[in-house]
Amino acid sequence: MKKFTLLLTVITMSFAAPVLAEEANLAATQAADAGDVRVSVNGLVCDFCARALEKVFGKQDEVENINVNLDTKIITVNFKEGQNLDDETLKTLIQDSGYNVEAINRDE
Amino acid sequence: MRYMLFALLGMGLFIPPAFARPVSYPGGVTAMTMNDGDKNSLHLHYSPTAKMSLGYKFEYWRDNEMTINAVQMNNLLKRWNKPDSQANLYLKSGVGVAYSDYGDFDGETDIAAFTGIAADWEDRRRFISYENRYTEAGDIDDFFMQSARVGWAPYEGDYGDLHTWLMLQVEHKPEGDDHYTVTPLVRLFKDVHLVEAGMNNRGEILFNYVFRY
Repeated sequence: MKKFTLLLTVITMSFAAPVLAEEANLAATQAADAGDVRVSVNGLVCDFCARALEKVFGKQDEVENINVNLDTKIITVNFKEGQNLDDETLKTLIQDSGYNVEAINRDE
Repeated sequence: MRYMLFALLGMGLFIPPAFARPVSYPGGVTAMTMNDGDKNSLHLHYSPTAKMSLGYKFEYWRDNEMTINAVQMNNLLKRWNKPDSQANLYLKSGVGVAYSDYGDFDGETDIAAFTGIAADWEDRRRFISYENRYTEAGDIDDFFMQSARVGWAPYEGDYGDLHTWLMLQVEHKPEGDDHYTVTPLVRLFKDVHLVEAGMNNRGEILFNYVFRY
């Protein structure tokens, strides 16, 4: 009986983990700083896509970090102080990662 | 004629397939081992761009105790990025050396080459794929095989979560004793690790592992 209870607990936690992580991800997106860029990207369907974008943007000196939201298909690019990338460069980086840009929104 | 075709492929007109992503992101390194009732394989590849990868492939085929050591190139021929889904068409091919010490082969060594196409479509809850391959290994063996998969994810995991997929794989080998093999399997995917485990209709174990960095 104890083993069954333990197994049931593990399964329940496995399915609950994504929900908790999703809430944390949403909070991170909402906390994006002014001046950051939000890019709507086509083809974002899995962790692999998100990791590809992280790797490619991580090589850019201007980028502090990025946040990928698979639910909204939006990546938020956080720049270093006084740094930025223009729209064409953003599009090129995303295309080089294997994906397509739907729209780019910049905070005023 | 067949060797000429493979020689051309080996010179750069290569093609790749599609399950577990044969091409990574720019600068990505991937190691994958695939094991089932027919074979064991190891594939290591590097992707200089998001459209191709180049690497080493080892295979051991159980029925004729054949090993293949090859250079493999995978190419992303076309990707369709949609707001909620993605589809891919790959070509993957390899050239190398086959060896078998089984029966009359008695230490036979031959040039080996293989090529095939693969296609997949997926969104965050559904997956479908198809791939085929023709293999030529001189006097040792030559065969065609194809397989298809359908998959379903019981929940939508976000980035960094444990992703779970339930899949059904059907393989067709026209020249084999058992033409069709059906394998239900589970895929678990988290961070840089992907594991697949299942058992086919003959009771043979499938175990695949992919590490991508």
